[in-house]
Amino acid sequence: MLEDQHNVKAWFYLAPALVLLGIFIFYPIINAVFLTFVQDYNYLLGTHEGFTLLDNFKEAMQDQNFSQAFLNTLFITFVSVPISVIVALLISAWLNGIKKLQGMFQTIFFLPYVTNAIAVGMAFAFLFNRDFGLINLFLGFFGVNPINWVNTGASWTQAMFALVIYITWLGLAFKVMVFLSGLQGIDKQYYEAARVDSASRSRIFRRITVPLLSPMIMYITVTSFIGAFKAYTQVIGMFGQRLGPPGNDKSLITVVALVYEGIDNAASPGALSEAAATSIILFGVTLVFTLINFQVSKTRVHY
Amino acid sequence: MADNNNVENNQVEETPVGQEEVAQVAERYYEDEKKIKRKKALRMAGLYALITFFALFIIIPFYWMIITGLKTTAQVETSPPLLWINPAEWQFSNFSAALERAPFIRYTLNTVTVAVVATTGTVFTTILSAFAFARLNFKGRDALFMVFVATMMIPGEIFVITNFITVANFGWLSEQTWLDALMAQTAPFMTSVFYIFFLRQAFKTVPDELYYAAKVDGKSDWQFLWRIMVPVGMPTIITITILNAMNTWNAYIWPNLISMKQEFKLVSNGLRDAFSTSAGRPIYNEQMAAAMIVTIPLIIVFLLLKKYIMRGVSRSGIKG
Amino acid sequence: MEITLQNVTKVFQSKKAEETVAVDNLDITIPSGQLIGLLGPSGCGKSTTLFMLSGLLRPTQGKIFFGNEEVTPVPPEDRGIGLVFQNYALYPHMTVRQNIMFPLENVKMDKEEAQQKAQNIADLVGIGHLMNRKPKQLSGGQQQRVAIARALVKEPRVLLLDEPLSNLDARLRLQTREEIKRIQRETGITTIFVTHDQEEAMSISDEIVVLREGVTQQVGEPQHVYDKPQNMFVAKFLGTPPINIFDGRIENGRLMIGDANIAKYDADDQEVKIGIRPEGFRIVERSSFKVTVDLVETIGRDTTLIIEKPNAEGETFRAIVDSEERVEPGTEIKLSVRPTKFHVFNKETGELV
Repeated sequence: MLEDQHNVKAWFYLAPALVLLGIFIFYPIINAVFLTFVQDYNYLLGTHEGFTLLDNFKEAMQDQNFSQAFLNTLFITFVSVPISVIVALLISAWLNGIKKLQGMFQTIFFLPYVTNAIAVGMAFAFLFNRDFGLINLFLGFFGVNPINWVNTGASWTQAMFALVIYITWLGLAFKVMVFLSGLQGIDKQYYEAARVDSASRSRIFRRITVPLLSPMIMYITVTSFIGAFKAYTQVIGMFGQRLGPPGNDKSLITVVALVYEGIDNAASPGALSEAAATSIILFGVTLVFTLINFQVSKTRVHY
Repeated sequence: MADNNNVENNQVEETPVGQEEVAQVAERYYEDEKKIKRKKALRMAGLYALITFFALFIIIPFYWMIITGLKTTAQVETSPPLLWINPAEWQFSNFSAALERAPFIRYTLNTVTVAVVATTGTVFTTILSAFAFARLNFKGRDALFMVFVATMMIPGEIFVITNFITVANFGWLSEQTWLDALMAQTAPFMTSVFYIFFLRQAFKTVPDELYYAAKVDGKSDWQFLWRIMVPVGMPTIITITILNAMNTWNAYIWPNLISMKQEFKLVSNGLRDAFSTSAGRPIYNEQMAAAMIVTIPLIIVFLLLKKYIMRGVSRSGIKG
Repeated sequence: MEITLQNVTKVFQSKKAEETVAVDNLDITIPSGQLIGLLGPSGCGKSTTLFMLSGLLRPTQGKIFFGNEEVTPVPPEDRGIGLVFQNYALYPHMTVRQNIMFPLENVKMDKEEAQQKAQNIADLVGIGHLMNRKPKQLSGGQQQRVAIARALVKEPRVLLLDEPLSNLDARLRLQTREEIKRIQRETGITTIFVTHDQEEAMSISDEIVVLREGVTQQVGEPQHVYDKPQNMFVAKFLGTPPINIFDGRIENGRLMIGDANIAKYDADDQEVKIGIRPEGFRIVERSSFKVTVDLVETIGRDTTLIIEKPNAEGETFRAIVDSEERVEPGTEIKLSVRPTKFHVFNKETGELV
């Protein structure tokens, strides 16, 4: 009785989820692959004109915004992720060192996680406003002239800087939470043993705390990279559908934004295929970097 | 490792001279102590300072949102910007202006409806599936589970493309009725592999013996699930509910794609569309007031339920 | 290195301002180069004392001396102590070699010299062949040896062990306690270990310190403390099976249990508690101590008689007799008590009369 197979019963329990997943997860995966290799797909009629191996990829990469989107996405990923991981690590280490008010600060640092990316994006955009924003006020204390971050005519550099700051701000919450949990999970006895072994505080941090925390660090790094590659909503939050400062439209476009642009143009034949191809390219790049991450971490991570 | 001190085995009480030497050595440490205490106090002060600095970094955007939403247009457009406004002057009219600009109440109701429907569906399907994976033996269980887990790694955009087509094919996008919109918003989100994974783990903590005992008592699996497993997994279920509701509230991409009429929008895309960046010079205070309408309810909910939310997030994070 | 604890007291304050006196006026001197057992039940303050010796805890009052030097304010890293935690606290992400070498990293030392030292100490404790393994690849006994090696590698003045045997299974315990004794002999370091198991403490210690609720009960060589307990607690705590306690009295210079005359005893007439070791009984032809045997347990080596007796604490008492004595349950026998095997205690205070 203990080892009974509940085959039929199990499938009944799984049925609702399976049906839904079938329609909205499994089928789309197959369909995305299908779309990628199909020519001139017309979604309204459901027809297509033959198959192709690379045409849709070519179309995708030749899109006028592709290289900008790719560049932006890479920039966002490789700048905001390391910064926010390191800052989160420091903040959680500091939080771990205090007792009073630790709970209150934890709550504060967690706030960005529950907020609406659009709403706060708008707030950030106004923060960076050239004439009325706090950032320029603050910089003014150091004698810096007002910079045009996000308003009409702002350059890519300025706008991207503001965007990266916003994205980093958003990303801190989850990381701090996970790191702090990890730190609190380290048995106090290791620290006591290290004290008896006459280790200095920085040595304890380097040789004991960080290695014991390394699985979390790795998990956070991998998931942060994956998440950063998908940046889109944050750009919408700050700049709206324009995806850039007025006069510099689409300068901050990301790869995901490109995909959704394609979906918006679904009626035009082949647009969906291009979008599918773009998303597969993104997936491929993400996969490659994730694997690299795993390789690198093999030597550094201790379980 | 011979013990050299065996040679001079002075008892402290016996040698007054030895006692002086002893006192000196200890003196040093007693003094160092004060220095150490001072250093420790400095270090703590430094920690609090650093933490407070970054905490301010986190809070300032919120503060800015709130204060801007309460300013008059004239106060907003001052340079250098005003940091504080007398409460007597707070412009609650900004909120009514925002509400006139776009039906945020309607958007809120829409979002709540979608959240309730989607979450109920998700919780239901998740409980059933997690139970199957955690408790029932069936052929292909592990393989199927692997497949589920694999899908978690695939980025969302890939699904969106086809789901858009699917939803259109169901006729939910053209001449959209309220029901159409609801179906389109919720159908793809009535289940989640991530939550199934998460709840399965919680269910697995129920010891086999409980199941066997229930069987011996003649209880069916269904009864076991709802009477024993669900109560045990309740903290996780609550977390799933809250997280799901939160995600619905903050969702932008899918609602934006498939709400075909103004009255079907959800709060996030409603907010963004109301203040689209193409329409000339934005009215900042109205914009921020609208942003507050969208943000503050969730923050209040968060503050009330923060234990569940934070615990749930960290647990889902740790298992990695 | 002789260790002196001078009027050491430790009081813990909980958040609700409740005070717990974990150690109360401990005043003892521990001789140099010996293996000392701190023995007592849970909560008696032994671990607290150990941690005060290590420097991880500060005494609320009192002073601690290592030899001539007062170390009370000295932090653990400067005291020259080695500490083996109950759960070993081996750094899980480091190999055995790295674990052992870790204390040496914090002292200026040539890398080669450090490696040599680590290897030597590892060989001494018997894990020299496991240097490249990680802690989770080792058995419990091996992990403990690594912990000991790590504590010894910096050549401490004092070695402290917190319940070293409690995490090991029964078979390993016997083996390991001999190892600890051997290591202590070979290194000659003053070693103090904490345990709640009296057999453990008795078997390897040169001296034991019996503690109860933070107060020293008795200090001395194990056999001595066993033979001459100063109070009822010590008498009951040492010895397996435990000492039998009877309600009795001293009357006219004689020690009586009920009608039975146990021995002559020079003290005032009073009600007392009498402790008699199980091995202290002899079956004799003539005695006023008449009892009926209830149950007989044979374990081969000797025979235990379980006898009902209303004056005994717990209604029955145990007598261990030679296995040659064939006794049937239900028979009546007469017992005498060897003079070195009974102790008389004050009924209220438990102190020796």
